[in-house]
Amino acid sequence: MARNNTEKNDVLSTWASMRKLASKYTTWVTFVLLILLLSILTKGAALRWQSIRNLLIQESVRAFAALGVGMIIITKGIDLSIGYVVCLCSSIAASFAQNPNYSSAIYSGHSFPLFVPILAGIVAGGLFGLFNGWLVAYGKLPPFIATLGSMSIAKGLQLIYTKAAVVGSLNQNYKNISQGSVGPLPNLIIYVIIAAIIVWVLLNHTRQGTNFYAIGGNPQAARVSGINVERDLMLVYTYAGLLYGVAGVLLSSRLGLANSLTANGMELDAIAAVTVGGVSQSGGVGTVGGMMIGVFTMGLINYGMTFLAIDSYYQQLVKGFIIIVAVFFDMKKYARRA
Amino acid sequence: MKKRILVILLILAVVGGTVFAQGGKESSASGAIKMGALIRNLNEQFVKDYSENLKKLAAANGVELNLQDAQGNVATQLDQLNTLLTQGYKYFVIIPQDTSATEQMAQQIAAVGGGAAFSNIQPSVEALKVGKDFYLASSPEAVAGQYQAQIIDEYFTKYPDKAPGKVLNMLYLQGQLGHPAQVNREAGMIDELEARGYTVNFIAKDTANWTPDQAQEKMDTWLAAFRGKFNIVVAQNDGMALGAVESLITNGFTKNNADDGTILTVPVLGIDATADALNSMDQNKLYATVLQDSVGQSSTAFELMLTMAKNGTANGSTAWGLKPATKVIAEAPANDPSVIGQCYLVPFKPVTKANYKELM
Repeated sequence: MARNNTEKNDVLSTWASMRKLASKYTTWVTFVLLILLLSILTKGAALRWQSIRNLLIQESVRAFAALGVGMIIITKGIDLSIGYVVCLCSSIAASFAQNPNYSSAIYSGHSFPLFVPILAGIVAGGLFGLFNGWLVAYGKLPPFIATLGSMSIAKGLQLIYTKAAVVGSLNQNYKNISQGSVGPLPNLIIYVIIAAIIVWVLLNHTRQGTNFYAIGGNPQAARVSGINVERDLMLVYTYAGLLYGVAGVLLSSRLGLANSLTANGMELDAIAAVTVGGVSQSGGVGTVGGMMIGVFTMGLINYGMTFLAIDSYYQQLVKGFIIIVAVFFDMKKYARRA
Repeated sequence: MKKRILVILLILAVVGGTVFAQGGKESSASGAIKMGALIRNLNEQFVKDYSENLKKLAAANGVELNLQDAQGNVATQLDQLNTLLTQGYKYFVIIPQDTSATEQMAQQIAAVGGGAAFSNIQPSVEALKVGKDFYLASSPEAVAGQYQAQIIDEYFTKYPDKAPGKVLNMLYLQGQLGHPAQVNREAGMIDELEARGYTVNFIAKDTANWTPDQAQEKMDTWLAAFRGKFNIVVAQNDGMALGAVESLITNGFTKNNADDGTILTVPVLGIDATADALNSMDQNKLYATVLQDSVGQSSTAFELMLTMAKNGTANGSTAWGLKPATKVIAEAPANDPSVIGQCYLVPFKPVTKANYKELM
């Protein structure tokens, strides 16, 4: 009898710990279930290396945006300017990589070494991030409003800079940045891995990372404990801006062009992805692993629906539904904690 | 916790349900010809009409059509192409999001031995040079502008006192700047008007990005600023023209009769001949439009790809009753003699009071 009870307890505790595990790794579990579902529906076709490679390439640029906005959301901020900042950075970068003999080139007749477009794009992103950070940290504007304003500024600057025309005919060296690969691994994936490692180290193994979580968790407490909240907020937006700059360079290099529609709506994709990945809108919570899983979960849903030829109208519906459910969860989880 | 699992299952059920509902299509039509359609943005009426006709043609011919909407995003369109190529699709009907990306798309399709027919947004000459089975199935945009000029000429020849000295004071609504249709429709109209002896003054000219709401806002402002200073309003598509019509009506630019064909004080012209536009003409609001033939373009593109799927190539074939062009025109990509045999030019058609009822 006693033995039976122990066995029962064992089973119960195993079940309980499994549930605990599943709860902790909701995002991972969802991701794995989605992969299983998709591979069943496509009879394994979606799991071919070519498909996985496509998925990784597709989501890589969004991954940069997600890492940036993920850090910002950890500090309880938000960034609506992502799409247009990426668009501006991609246009600026592309303008220095056009074939010099292309008559409609912005700097027609000039040829620049490869580092110029890369640097120009990243610096433009960093400056915009600095501007956002300054507005939020020292201007004391709510991040939603500050970045709503800078979104429109970025859009305006892009239109002025390009005169609303397409920045096309990019040189092959520039295109190779994104389109090349090392062995079977596309370059883009290598960049994402490097960026994810850097952000992971920043968040987990530096004083600043700890500060970001502290500020998001409770800014007053953070200030009292001696954290320079303003400086750190400005830095987090700047880091994010640099990541958007890289995203802009990679995107124009991948597409071989930049125009005023490039990256439109990326802010919503990135915010949705990190939210699905468990970064809490209430601040102070989120991991790099979660952000990446979020990006690839959303990517998988997109990819799966394209693969299965689902009507585009339904695709929008499903995506919207998933975002709402993810945020609903998140709110519940942290409402209880508070 | 239980709730959480329940919700996850719910999401999966919704995704799965949608997927299963649609997935049935694929298995049932195995063995049929597979065709991909990459469509730049289903928010536009012309593009919607084009897509609907493609779906009809596919159903009628037993073709398994995978139609994807890029939602105005080049990156999305390239992703969709990659996905379909992975699935073994080789024949594509494409409304590209951007001319500059067409060469890259053509190269990827050529790599699997496939072909494509491009409509609406012109592909680059380089894209057609990728292979003999890359086609233009579209209408040269400059011609739409020329027809607008012809309609304007007919109007002011009938009412010469409305444009003394053949001077046109025009409010002009442009599509997205840099878009090939924007550039060529404008050039076509100006050249033709000048050839017909008119002086064109743009009282105001700005982009409304193809949309009625932006056009209406622009017009509201212009009407306040330039009252009495213009004698014609021209838009580069019907959506914007209808926005302009609304603005003229709300600002009181109407008269009691429609003797000259419109109740508005000045004629308004569009392009596309959408159902809304024809309806507006029927109510004597919009003066005239030009038909961009969504059925003609999609049927030509579809037939080319169907022929290719059946015979290995469609080069030199007749599609939707059209033969490939033989003479180069001023507009790319049909301006290059080396690819002219791959260009199928679907005609535009002026739509005026005389013939609009045929299209309704």
